[in-house]
Amino acid sequence: MLSYIKVEMLRMLRNKRYIIFVVAFPLGFYLLYSNLWGNQVDQSTGVRGSIILMVSMGAYGALAASMMSTAVPWSQERHSGWLRQLQITPLTSWAIIVTKLVAALLLVLPSLLLVGLAAVLTQHVSLTAGEWAGLLLAMWIGTIPFAALGLAIGSVLPPDTAQPAAMISMFGLALLGGLWVPLEVMPSTMRSVAQVLPSYDYASIGWRIVAGHAPEAGPVAGILGWAVVLGALAVVAYRRATVRA
Amino acid sequence: MNAIAFTDVTKSYGSVLAVDGLTLEVPAGSTVALLGPNGAGKSTSINMLLGLLRPTSGDIRVFGETPAEAVRHGSIGAMLQEGTLIPELTVAETVEFIRRLYPDPLPLEEILRLADLTDLAKRRADKLSGGQTQRVRFALAVAGAPKLLLLDEPTAAMDVESRRSFWDNMRAYAAQGRTILFATHYLEEADENSDRVVVVARGRVVADGTAAEIKASVAGQSVSFRLGDQSVSGLDGLPGITGVELQGGRVTLRTADADATLDALYRKTTLDVRDLQIHGADLEDAFLALTQEA
Repeated sequence: MLSYIKVEMLRMLRNKRYIIFVVAFPLGFYLLYSNLWGNQVDQSTGVRGSIILMVSMGAYGALAASMMSTAVPWSQERHSGWLRQLQITPLTSWAIIVTKLVAALLLVLPSLLLVGLAAVLTQHVSLTAGEWAGLLLAMWIGTIPFAALGLAIGSVLPPDTAQPAAMISMFGLALLGGLWVPLEVMPSTMRSVAQVLPSYDYASIGWRIVAGHAPEAGPVAGILGWAVVLGALAVVAYRRATVRA
Repeated sequence: MNAIAFTDVTKSYGSVLAVDGLTLEVPAGSTVALLGPNGAGKSTSINMLLGLLRPTSGDIRVFGETPAEAVRHGSIGAMLQEGTLIPELTVAETVEFIRRLYPDPLPLEEILRLADLTDLAKRRADKLSGGQTQRVRFALAVAGAPKLLLLDEPTAAMDVESRRSFWDNMRAYAAQGRTILFATHYLEEADENSDRVVVVARGRVVADGTAAEIKASVAGQSVSFRLGDQSVSGLDGLPGITGVELQGGRVTLRTADADATLDALYRKTTLDVRDLQIHGADLEDAFLALTQEA
C-alpha cells in the first residue's frame, strides 16, 4: 500500500493541472493579495490582512488539492480500466479507497506549506509554534470532507461530467465559503448559505487560530458533521461503483 | 490439480443468457484457447474467473479456491480487453508498482524482458503507441508470476509483427509450467498457440480438443486419387470413411481418420493408387460449422 500511495503522489505531482490550480494559483494569489491588502487590520480581531489571507489562500489551495486529486482521476480510472487492473491484483477493495484518501491528504500539504512559507518570507508573518502546529493540523485534517466529496463525485459521474462537477463544487465552496471574498461584504442571503458550508467552517477554524483563540465549537462540529456525511456518501458511492455484478 | 474448473455455470444479464451451463476443466500447466465468435460468452467467462462478475448459478474454482481467493493470493494475472495506464507514470514505475502487490513476483528486469519493454522502461505511458501499451499490459499480467494467466483477445489491437512476438513471449511464459487460458476469435491463433481448443458458442462448449481433433470431428479430411477405370466398389467399407465421390475418373474419400483410411487403402486393397492428395479440413470450416450448429 505504501508503494501505491507513492505512485499516486508521483502522478499528481507530474500533473500540470494539479500544479497550476493547486500549487501555483493559491501561491500567486496570496502574493498578489497580500501586497494589496496585507497591511489592513481586521477591526474585530486585530489580525493583519496578510495573516487572514494566508489562511484563506491556504484553505483554497487545500480545498482545491483535495478535490482535484480525487474526483477526475478517480472517475477516469474507473472508466479506463485501471480500476479493473487493480481489482485483479491482491490489492483489496478497501485499500484502494483508503490509499486514495491518504494520497489526497498528502497532496494537500504542498499548497498549505508553500502559502505558509510565502507568508513568512514575504509578509514576515509570525505565529507561535503552537499556533503554527494547530493551524497546519486543522487545515490539513479539515480537508477530509472535501476529499470525500471528490471521491463521491468520481464514483458517481463519468469523467466528462466529473470534471465540471468538481470544478463547480470547488469554486463554489471556495467562493461561498468566504475564501476569496470576506463574508462581511456578501449579501445576507449568500452569507446565510456560506455559514452552512464546510468550506466556511474549515476556514473559520483557521481564522480563529491565527487570532490566537481556540476554534469555536460550531465550526468544529460543522466540519465533523460534514466529514461524516460526505465520508458516508463516498463509501456508499464507492461500493456502488465497484460492486461485482 | 485443475487450474480452472467451471461446473455448470450460467450467467444471465436480465433475459440474456451469456453463459449457459458451462462445464470446463483445465489441468494445471496447459495452454487452452477459448475460441468463439463475438458474444459467445468468452469475456463473461474470463471476468467470472477473476471474480469481477458473479455467476448466476454454478460453481467456479481456480486451483481449488474461489476466484476472489485466488485473486487475493496472487494466483491469477490477466490482460483484459480494454485498459489504459496511468498517463503520468513510466513503464518501469507502473510495472514495479503492480509487481509489488504480489507475494512472489518476477524480478522487474525479467518482466521487462518478457514483454520486450527493456528499451521503453523510462518512457511515460502517455507517450506509448497502442502496441507498446498492449505490451505493458502483458507485463502487468505476468508481473506477479501468476500460476494462471488469462488473456482476453490480447492481440486485438496489434499488427502482424507485434502479434508474432506477443505469442513468442506468451509461450516463453507458458514454458515455465504455467497455465494459460486465452480468448480469441482468430482461428489461426488458437491453432498455433494452444495445446487445446475449446470452442464456445452462445455460452456453451460446442467442441473441445486439439485443433486437429476439432477439424477432424467436424468436416473431417479427404483423401483423393486417380481411380481410372478401376472399380469403386468396396471403398466405402474402409475405416473412417464417411462418403465416396467419383468424378471424372478421380475418387474423393471423405474420412474422419485419414491415417486409418490410407493404411487400409494400401494394405487391404489391390488398387493402383496414383496422384494421391490429402486435404485437411480447414479449421475455419470446422469453426463455422460448430458455431452455427449450436
